[in-house]
Amino acid sequence: MTTFHLEVAADFACFTRPEMKVERVSYDIITPSAVRAVFESILWKPAIRWQPERIEVLAPIRWSSIRRNEIANKISVASVQSAMNKGSGLLGAYIEDERQQRAGLLLRDVRYRLTARLEMTNRAGPDDNLQKFSEMFRRRADKGQCINQPYLGCREFACAFRLATEDAHPIDRTALPDYDQRQLGFGGGRPLGWMLYDMNYQHPDSPCPRFFNPWIENGVVTIPDANSTEVRG
Amino acid sequence: MILQALVEYYERKAADPDTALAPPGFEAKDIPFIIVINDNGQYRQLNDTRCGEGKKKRAQTFLVPQGVKKTSGVAANLLWDTAEYVLGVDTRGKPDRVAEQHAAFLERLNELPAGDPAISAIRAFLGNDPIAALQSSPLWPEILESNPLLSFQLSGDNAPIFMRPAIVQTLRHTAPEDDAVLGLCLVSGDTGPIERLHAAIKGVWGAQTSGANIVSFNQRAFESYGKEQKQGENAPVGKQAAFAYTTALNHLLGKDSNQRVQVGDASCVFWAEKPCLLEDDFAAYFKESPKDDPDYNVRAVKNLYQSIQQGHATVSDQNTRFYVLGLAPNAARIAIRFWLHGSVAEFSAHIVQHFDDLTIDHAPYEKPYLPLFRLLTSIAAQGKADNIPPNLGGDTLRSILSGLPYPATLLQAAVRRIRAEQNVPYARAALIKACINRKTRFDHPHDPAYQEELKVSLDLENKHIGYRLGRLFAALEKIQEDAHDRSLNASIRDRFYGAASSTPVTVFPNLMKLSGHHLDKLGKLNEGRRVNMDKWLTKIIGGMDGEQAFPSQLCIEDQGRFAIGYYHQRQAFYSKSTSTESTTGEPA
Repeated sequence: MTTFHLEVAADFACFTRPEMKVERVSYDIITPSAVRAVFESILWKPAIRWQPERIEVLAPIRWSSIRRNEIANKISVASVQSAMNKGSGLLGAYIEDERQQRAGLLLRDVRYRLTARLEMTNRAGPDDNLQKFSEMFRRRADKGQCINQPYLGCREFACAFRLATEDAHPIDRTALPDYDQRQLGFGGGRPLGWMLYDMNYQHPDSPCPRFFNPWIENGVVTIPDANSTEVRG
Repeated sequence: MILQALVEYYERKAADPDTALAPPGFEAKDIPFIIVINDNGQYRQLNDTRCGEGKKKRAQTFLVPQGVKKTSGVAANLLWDTAEYVLGVDTRGKPDRVAEQHAAFLERLNELPAGDPAISAIRAFLGNDPIAALQSSPLWPEILESNPLLSFQLSGDNAPIFMRPAIVQTLRHTAPEDDAVLGLCLVSGDTGPIERLHAAIKGVWGAQTSGANIVSFNQRAFESYGKEQKQGENAPVGKQAAFAYTTALNHLLGKDSNQRVQVGDASCVFWAEKPCLLEDDFAAYFKESPKDDPDYNVRAVKNLYQSIQQGHATVSDQNTRFYVLGLAPNAARIAIRFWLHGSVAEFSAHIVQHFDDLTIDHAPYEKPYLPLFRLLTSIAAQGKADNIPPNLGGDTLRSILSGLPYPATLLQAAVRRIRAEQNVPYARAALIKACINRKTRFDHPHDPAYQEELKVSLDLENKHIGYRLGRLFAALEKIQEDAHDRSLNASIRDRFYGAASSTPVTVFPNLMKLSGHHLDKLGKLNEGRRVNMDKWLTKIIGGMDGEQAFPSQLCIEDQGRFAIGYYHQRQAFYSKSTSTESTTGEPA
């Protein structure tokens, strides 16, 4: 059994659109790359790869607009290296000189049920097989064990997670107001526009984004495989 | 999705033959001064295209070849630019730079076919000491002062040179620059050249006047994946898509546009997939009526009600998407405050629900439908728009269009304002009523008893403690007023409203005792009225539930009910008294 379901819930989430990255605007739902990240934070080895399969949106889509103080510049690699070589150096950044206020349009009170499949990669060793990693993942997810706290989009939006089974009691979304139901695709689905699928790291010095065209129906989005033709880029 | 919807809007408008939207390679620009020259390049006159008075002078808008993005370097536009570029006249004390600018402008003229008579006329004029010729014009000092945009016109034509057919043809067919990086456009999904710097969006209130960008990566911290200094590659958008969405957004934000509304500090634009009533009237529902047409929004709302009631909401309305985008400024960038999309039918129904919820008894001189701006200023300190809490306008608009309860801030701010100012005017009462009704309806979605908790006018059956106490307070105030024949400077409202609303038990026993004295005094003036007011008091108190008539505290929502009860009772008293002599209505 290599397909697993995780239920995640959080107060905030921000799956930032690439084109509105500075003044963040989130996508309506979680992106496949964020799904992959949630699973990877529980278990990842070079031998395995997570392929997201399905997203179910369990809570109505709610938005919140906030504004945060952030900084304008990164600390340069050169100054870090020179500090390492010298043994000491000044690497701080003063917020007064670098302050940039950035707004963000975030999602609030999100709950998803995520489905992903475990696959082996070509870096698997002789002892590695799917069953071993499946069992490892199941044990860890059951106990709530993770390498780093899973997050939804940005690291500051940590989420709670729980392993769910296929026939877990579904949340009744038909009690929601009509507007929310239509946003979730009840009563005939709706398209969500081009959405970021994941980044393509074939050329590590210049990663490029890949996009796909999701369709949400009855709160469910089916994610195509990474090598399918529906994913462009 | 946002950029995609804008691109679709551009395509819809571009397909429409009598549209004002610029085709690719062109943009709309206000050019205040046109230099008229004859075919030999001799100066004829200087035309001022502006109309209007004083600060409101607006130049005529022309369709000009698209300008280059102005940065700190020297880059000239084709056939139109500021006086420094066109004439080489120094307006700010930087003669070297101005010389470069003028040279760049002349350089760009090389892009056009040399044989064209208009171009040779321009070259002749500019080569022949243009400044001396122009100094004879009375507008020259103004040009020196303000460095405006200039362009040229031949004396035989009735349109500027860049609108001559030969020039337009050449521009339409210029090959695009080949140094653009290829990539996958995230708006259209096609591979093509990627736009490096997107055109500026002008017209967002509060942003810098030279325009701001939605898609911009103007600091190192905003770049990712190693795309240093390669702004556009951080979010690949194709050139065609970038042109389409920026032109569409500039058009929607334009000065004459009917498709924008200012909501607090957010400039809000809206559009639909197809032309429809909602697109034409949406601004009217939320904007303040212009001074010369005070019934502007009342008419629009009445139209909407009629169209809903008569079932004009057709199948096409169910399927037509309607988009609302709220933009807020942040210096050289634009933040998206909210993005709403739904069908025209849904939004129309929600707007009607919003106005239904706001309906409350009011004086005859007040308008029946309140625009959003009036509601927001009623909760701001001193009624000033600057004091409206940020984000509140956008959040309220979002809750109106999605049919959700209003932001909690709205109810709290309204109750706080009432305590600070000790009065309950029409706008605040309407707002509180709507907040409470929407909340109770949302909490009990299928329960008919909670569909409209607070009614439009005085509800004699409402036994809720907050409501009853508000009515009681209004009655006590009326007794005091009548007893002193309305000659009081400070009534119990000015002294005790705040305490009565939040901690009734501290104030009401005292007020009931005082009312006894007031009733006696009233009896000496007019026995009939005394009896009447006594009856009102009995009825109000008699309807209160529970053993403890005066609670020690009222929560914010109950304070809202208190305010509504007070307002309803006052309206009931004042609407029935048609003459000073008559009794103030019979209590039911």
